[in-house]
Amino acid sequence: MSRRATFGTLLVVLVLVLPLPLLGPFDALVPVVRFVLLLGASSAVAIQEGAAGPVPMIVLLFAAHAVVGLVACVLLASLATGGLSHLAPGTRRVLVGVFVFGAVILASVFDFYQTPFGRAPESNLWGLFH
Amino acid sequence: MKALVLVALLGLVSPALSVGAGDLSFERTEERAECKNHDPVRQPFFGDTHVHTALSFDAWGQGTLATPSDAYRYAQGEPIGIQPYDPEGATRERVQLRRPLDYAVVTDHSDLLGETRICGDPSLPGHESLVCRVVRRFPKLGYALVNGHVYSNENPSRYSFCGEDGQACLEAGRSPWQEIQDAAEAHYDRSETCSFTTFVGYEWTGMPGGNNIHRNVIFRNATAQSYPTTYIETPTQEGLWSALETECLDAGSGCDVLAIPHNSNVSGGRMFTVNRPDGTPITAGDARTRARLETLVEITQHKGDSECRPGAADEFCDYESLRFPRLGEMVSPAVDPSAMPPLMYVREVLGEGLLQSQRIGVNPFQFGVLGATDTHFGTPGMVDEDEYRGHAAGTVDARFGIPAYPDRSDFNPGGLGVLWAEENSRDSLFAAMRRREAYGTSGPRIVVRFFGGWEFPDDFCAASDFAERGYAEGVPMGGELPPPPGTGAPRFAVSALRDPGGAGVPTTDLQRIQVVKGWVEGDRVREKVFEVAGNPDSTADVDFATCRPRGEGFETLCGVFEDTEFDAGVPAFYYVRVLENPSCRWNAWVCLERGVDCSQPAGVPSELRDCCDPEVPRSIQERAWTSPIWYTPPPTLEPGPAVPSDADPAG
Repeated sequence: MSRRATFGTLLVVLVLVLPLPLLGPFDALVPVVRFVLLLGASSAVAIQEGAAGPVPMIVLLFAAHAVVGLVACVLLASLATGGLSHLAPGTRRVLVGVFVFGAVILASVFDFYQTPFGRAPESNLWGLFH
Repeated sequence: MKALVLVALLGLVSPALSVGAGDLSFERTEERAECKNHDPVRQPFFGDTHVHTALSFDAWGQGTLATPSDAYRYAQGEPIGIQPYDPEGATRERVQLRRPLDYAVVTDHSDLLGETRICGDPSLPGHESLVCRVVRRFPKLGYALVNGHVYSNENPSRYSFCGEDGQACLEAGRSPWQEIQDAAEAHYDRSETCSFTTFVGYEWTGMPGGNNIHRNVIFRNATAQSYPTTYIETPTQEGLWSALETECLDAGSGCDVLAIPHNSNVSGGRMFTVNRPDGTPITAGDARTRARLETLVEITQHKGDSECRPGAADEFCDYESLRFPRLGEMVSPAVDPSAMPPLMYVREVLGEGLLQSQRIGVNPFQFGVLGATDTHFGTPGMVDEDEYRGHAAGTVDARFGIPAYPDRSDFNPGGLGVLWAEENSRDSLFAAMRRREAYGTSGPRIVVRFFGGWEFPDDFCAASDFAERGYAEGVPMGGELPPPPGTGAPRFAVSALRDPGGAGVPTTDLQRIQVVKGWVEGDRVREKVFEVAGNPDSTADVDFATCRPRGEGFETLCGVFEDTEFDAGVPAFYYVRVLENPSCRWNAWVCLERGVDCSQPAGVPSELRDCCDPEVPRSIQERAWTSPIWYTPPPTLEPGPAVPSDADPAG
């Protein structure tokens, strides 16, 4: 497994599963992909209907969290890739595979995420997309 | 029972009399049975004029399913369900008012009535619009986006799914508007029992730039506007008044209406403007229009108290006060009250009214006061501190579970509005609102009488016919003192009865009665608080281990106050504030019930951390505020506002 593939795989998984807090009085704990979904929904409404009142702030809030969360995931993926770089490609592939499999399974089975903006207070990975 | 005896002894409530239609001191504008409990010297009726149900977008968006009919059932003492609901729609929380109200008004937001219906009804065009899908998929996000788009916008507009000129949404709003009127009719007791009164109403929800300038619009009888005025189509208060005049007062249909401003404490000073929208000063005509429609203001409610600016010389102004000057800044850092804009508090605005009356000859701000809840659960009158569930103001989410700590710590359960009326009928209660014979309480059912005159003797409180003589020899709260008969000073008679309790509601003794005076000195307004009865040096407090009040207090208080500093040449207002001894605030009850031990901080759950925050008050002094009595030096500069009046019973 190449260093680039390792980095890319880890980044995708972190973006999908790593729970991050939403700053402010919301008690949200969701992965970057959720911030991107919320950003998409709010900016789509803003573009279609106009951005009045606090709407720009809401868009900005999710955009900032999406960007900061993405940067955090990039840093973590880089660190992990660096840490794995001295291992043999096969070993690296196994470790990355175990991490991906474990993270996705755990995120799919347990309601890790706090999703106050959604229709349920907590969610697993797949619930984020429902 | 003891309190009722005292009421009778004080002449606060006279024996009920039956009267014929020709003997009424107010105009009967509807078909109904005569009330058996008619009392010509009037009775206090407790109610709530500010109630939201599932028809309001911001209530529905938070999971509220209670209908206007549910709200009226709750007001009459029936149990109803509130959120959270399980996936099948069954409630997990039932609530019941321990003491029913005498009257209530469902005041759903006129704005977004149609949008709410469209987003919730798959059969309507627009249901699959982007906005509705976002609202359903991300309710809390939709709540923030839509509220911001409409209410906080200086130039609000309809969403594109509302079609040309918003017609689809306006059309969809007709059904909920009819539902509001039908519920009011269905729950109005038109029998001779006169047990419960409803009014048709709505809330006009302007919040330009985050500055709250909301008004609750209340109709006298079943004749109302064909469609409620909306902020989106009519984005100024002047536009609202014009619509109410054109479509109701002057329509010749028998329609009659009042508008009640609320939450001037988060208005940024824009609720009581002294300039027209074009920046020029208001005229006498403008003032008359306002005074004709706005005879009352909500002095307290769930989102804070609006009596007076905290930090002022009056220590009791620091009561349920919020530290943000605009509703749109609820999550912003705290602002020092002295740095907040002027004309945000009722007392300041009453004073400004005196100045304006000197300038233009008409007082635009000659209003009385009421308390209300602003519940978004559909639960009118849910004001008891010990059973508080929040009011769904968008701060604590109750959609998914019963919150351990039900509200922001700076919010409160709100209050009640009390109307002195002959009977519990729409016409009688509405006449009380119009003549401002009304007062607000922070929740307790304190009974307050307040009369102003020139001749009340020192022993007036001992009079067995206190109320009859009060009316005959003076004016009640909300009135204007007649010209002075000589060189004497005005005298004010005030009596108060503590909340008698009952039905398991914890109540507290009275502590004192105060008279608050405002007057003009030069081009400034001065104010002073006078102690009239009770014990200002009281050391009563609360035992937080049980939430039981400790110390001496009073079941009744009465006093006659003479304004020895009176200057017959300057205008003034006088209102009464009745204070109870300290009692547990809602958060103290919650923390006690949850067994929070602040000596073990590590064991305190995060959602209950405010239980141990020393900045959050644990006790309050519940209170009542009366409508003012005004004094205007004769001769008046111009005729007073064209306020239709109903005759005083003994006047």
